[in-house]
Amino acid sequence: MSHQDAKRTSDADSPSRRLTRRSLLQGAATAGAAGLAVTAMGAAASPALAATSRSSAPEQSAAEQPAPKQPASAQSQDHHEHAGPIMVHVRDARTGNIEVFSGTSQTQLRDKDLAARIARALA
Amino acid sequence: MSSHREAPEISKDPVADSTDLYAFVSPDKPGTVTLIANYIPLQEPSGGPNFYEFGDDVRYEIHIDNNGDSRADISFQFRFTTEVVTPETFLYNTGPITSLSSPNWNRRQSYSVSVASGNGPGRNIASGLTCPPCNIGPLSTPDYAALAAAATHDIGSGITVFAGQRAEAFYVDLGSIFDLGNLRPFQTANVFGKTVFNKNAPGVNATNHLNVHSIAIQVPITALARTSKPVIGVWTTASRQRVRFWDADHGKNVDSGPFRQVSRLANPMVNEVLIPMGKKDQWNSLPPADDKLFASYFASPGFSGLLPTLYPEVFPNLNALNKSGKPRADIEAIFLTGLPTGIVPGFTNLTGPIQADMLRLNTSIPPATSKLSTLGVVGGDLAGFPNGRRPIDDVVTIELRALAGLTYPLVDKTFTPDAAAKAVTDGLDGTSVANPPAGHFPYLGTPYDGYRNPS
Repeated sequence: MSHQDAKRTSDADSPSRRLTRRSLLQGAATAGAAGLAVTAMGAAASPALAATSRSSAPEQSAAEQPAPKQPASAQSQDHHEHAGPIMVHVRDARTGNIEVFSGTSQTQLRDKDLAARIARALA
Repeated sequence: MSSHREAPEISKDPVADSTDLYAFVSPDKPGTVTLIANYIPLQEPSGGPNFYEFGDDVRYEIHIDNNGDSRADISFQFRFTTEVVTPETFLYNTGPITSLSSPNWNRRQSYSVSVASGNGPGRNIASGLTCPPCNIGPLSTPDYAALAAAATHDIGSGITVFAGQRAEAFYVDLGSIFDLGNLRPFQTANVFGKTVFNKNAPGVNATNHLNVHSIAIQVPITALARTSKPVIGVWTTASRQRVRFWDADHGKNVDSGPFRQVSRLANPMVNEVLIPMGKKDQWNSLPPADDKLFASYFASPGFSGLLPTLYPEVFPNLNALNKSGKPRADIEAIFLTGLPTGIVPGFTNLTGPIQADMLRLNTSIPPATSKLSTLGVVGGDLAGFPNGRRPIDDVVTIELRALAGLTYPLVDKTFTPDAAAKAVTDGLDGTSVANPPAGHFPYLGTPYDGYRNPS
């Protein structure tokens, strides 16, 4: 077996150590706590939009979770995170139901004016 | 097929299409469990120069439920990265690939492994792990076994991983099954076959000499199962980001948004055979915990209803059972809950009352030695399917017979299976695989090379 290609990031690599469920998952719980902290910081520091909900799931498992409800401003921190394009999906121009995607995040907006402006831009 | 091209949407996305899932107590390391999730079905070995590879844009996962709620308690996540060393050549390799660091290997993949608790975020436990190349031929990959061995990585804490091409271990006569269930060994009894054929014929393994891409991980049992609950439920998923945009300026796709599940697999042939066409895509998008939505298709399997029609007068007792309207509690138990104690002497793989398609492995049952049977529990081998699944298990025959009524006496001792239920098969067994599974990690056979298997 080869070890040379593996860059280990675990701090519990002793082959002789008895791996338990707790030790296997220990670091995962810490990572989860950090994720929550980032979300909370974003919520506190951003301007408001109309009603939004946000799903930021860079490491979520199996995509089973409903989008967590977030304050309107929760997505503004992503101004600093968007390395890639921002994609907009107007689900229903009549109701202003808009989905915005960037990175591994998704934000849902309800903004009739914005939806109408986008629709007019296509005309 | 076990789950190859089993649903309309995923059949157009082979990179994310799970084909088979295996979970077994490792025969050569009985303190560990080996989990193998196969993807990218029906690989024709000579299909280059862009040979098969995992999707950099797909998140592959293997999930474990260890408390019986049919939700993931532990998820192993695998993400791949492709590197092109020399973009100016059209070749996959510019000379023999004699090691994983060979400069002749032009297009290569590496991957990371993360572990997540429940639905939480993942913690990276290893990265930069090299996949082996595809098996090209005797000139390009002269010692493939050595390349595969070098791509088997011990990542610490007793965990071993491998990701790359392997020989297809699943054997099935696709050509006969999808031609109106015309099982060759019984084709003169098929309602359509008897008008065409005047003698029966042996089965033909449609997946022989084809490859798949395997993600294999071997983990200490202590890291997966609870001491008081040795039965674990296992399934695999592939997820893609919600949005895909063709960037015409750069000639590539751009993905965005959170990952959402596009493929799911646990027990073989569930979505393939039991779930109706109109719901297969939905089934692929949902977790096992939602399988109550599909429970009626297990209680009244469509294939069981078809058998007496396809083979008139061969399955009279099954026909009567079908017409009685009694739910197939045996099928529900095998696929959705596991078998409780008292049904098969010395055996249980019950996870609880929640109906969910998971591969259920009782980790306290040691690997078979003297009583090894490819028919698994039905054949008296408690270490085989549906106690998890091993690469050698003849799941087609086991499931054909179960759906034909062979296992119904487990829940109703007054029922007598038809004689044909004990004999029905597609005519294949382990000898139908040219490169059979091995006795050591990653267990699946050496992939077929393109030179010796050109079509």
